[in-house]
Amino acid sequence: MARSHILLPALAPALVVLFASPAWGQGDEVPHGRGFGARLLQALIDGIQFGVIIAITAVGLSLVFGTVHLINFAHGEFVTIGATFAFFLNASPAGPGWHLVPAAIAAVLFGALLGGAVDRVIWRPLHARGTGLINLFIVTIGLSLLLRHIVLVLYGTRPASFVQYDIQEAIDLGPVGITPRDLTVTLLSVLVLFGVAALLQRTRIGTAVRAVSVNRDLAEASGIDVQRVVLFVWMFGGALAALGGIFFGLEEIITWDMGFKLLLLMFAGIILGGLGSAYGAMVGSLVIGIVAQVSSLWFPVDLQYAWALLVLIVVLLVRPQGILGRPERVG
Amino acid sequence: MSTDDQVPILAADDVVAGYLPGVDVLRGCSVRVEPGELVGVIGPNGAGKSTLIKAVFGLLRIRAGSVRLLGEDVTNRPAHEQVRRGVGYVPQLQNVFPALTVEENLRMGIYLRPGAFARRSAELEELFPVLAARRKQKAGSMSGGERQMLAMARALMMEPRLLLLDEPSAGLSPAHQDLVFERVKGINGAGVAVLMVEQNARRCLQICHRGYVLDQGRNAYTDTGTRLLHDEKVIELYLGTLARVR
Repeated sequence: MARSHILLPALAPALVVLFASPAWGQGDEVPHGRGFGARLLQALIDGIQFGVIIAITAVGLSLVFGTVHLINFAHGEFVTIGATFAFFLNASPAGPGWHLVPAAIAAVLFGALLGGAVDRVIWRPLHARGTGLINLFIVTIGLSLLLRHIVLVLYGTRPASFVQYDIQEAIDLGPVGITPRDLTVTLLSVLVLFGVAALLQRTRIGTAVRAVSVNRDLAEASGIDVQRVVLFVWMFGGALAALGGIFFGLEEIITWDMGFKLLLLMFAGIILGGLGSAYGAMVGSLVIGIVAQVSSLWFPVDLQYAWALLVLIVVLLVRPQGILGRPERVG
Repeated sequence: MSTDDQVPILAADDVVAGYLPGVDVLRGCSVRVEPGELVGVIGPNGAGKSTLIKAVFGLLRIRAGSVRLLGEDVTNRPAHEQVRRGVGYVPQLQNVFPALTVEENLRMGIYLRPGAFARRSAELEELFPVLAARRKQKAGSMSGGERQMLAMARALMMEPRLLLLDEPSAGLSPAHQDLVFERVKGINGAGVAVLMVEQNARRCLQICHRGYVLDQGRNAYTDTGTRLLHDEKVIELYLGTLARVR
């Protein structure tokens, strides 16, 4: 990927802070019995963990936006439904009580079906009638409310966890610790992100997705079945959102509005990375996750999303097109 | 050019189409292209020239009327199927993938038959030598004229029987316009039927076998290119009276 060299500058501030940190920690008071450097390192690891999950959920949102130029407000509910559907299969008294792994696979497939259904039932017919994008955007807000409250009725308000991998002892890695569960989830997330990149870059359908997002008519003129590509993107986005929801439920907790809360961070990640670029969504989400976690070293945890959004504003002031975005070409 | 025993390669009859609900841009437009023919469509801005090409190609829903390709009814079939049937289309603007290299653009042109890439790209680089020299260059960095060449080459990769061109000379310098018309003539000479809409009416009619004059979504006149070129009314309305000087 020619763009990978931009990734390093994006992460450079984080690295600089990382290496400068031991010097800061020594002079000042050392609360909680751990050095500042260690706490920073821990926050960074937490941030990466959080960031890759946002990235998995955000890529689908970004791909849908890239191909059909629709901001899908209901994407957060895809995340929630993925997690709660897996919860139903895995831990609900009314469910079959499957192990988490098959439950997760089923939930990801369900997410794909849900994404496909939104394409076939809502997007395609309304778009064919010439419904404007703003109207469709409002439709997705309605869909988001509807789905969220269906989850509320079926799942309830009580936060819950999956049966397996719930409480774990952290592996001690010197100054920092990470549970085997979180380590596995993070590594899997990174693998999935590389998989998405490979799919977009190397496969035939990936090429078609990129062509459609650049120029729909020209893609058609090249013999690409744009409707099929759009269906694929919706299904792929739904599946990734469901997977992200399961991962988030594993690391944190499952709630009826988890996806809605994540949606703002997904938007922030996508815009920060550059609208419509799948890789931008990944990088932007990672930055958002890291900033949110690292900010909690100095500021109350309740404010961590606010800091992530502040970074978004500051970066956009300097680079309006986002980190990986291209400035609009004129002429 | 046309003979009675031949099925026209393209026959669009009484086509009604538009973008907004209730607003028809084309209001019963008919166009016919015989095999090997070079047909031009001229008309003032807003007459529906680009709309006609898009409707014929399947990028725009047709509300009434029919489109037939070699006798087969293809009304409202999606555009990518027309590509398979042997129709190439070059949009007016944004007709290349700017972030892709010249070679990758050509590869997109033959998306449906990747196996034929090597043979076709070699043939087209012979037809458009400028592309061979720029093979690894990003299409976005090319000049307007070069881009138009690439766009045509991309559309020709699939060896179409019919090429649809939407204002190929738009936005080009006079020198490049001449080059483009020359190439269009060359492509047609190689046996590809061409339907071209053009704002440069005079240059278009000079190379066309037959021309249509489109006005407010209907065809007003049809005749051979040369006769339209000397038609008093066409000169008055669309060519400008300066054309009479020639």
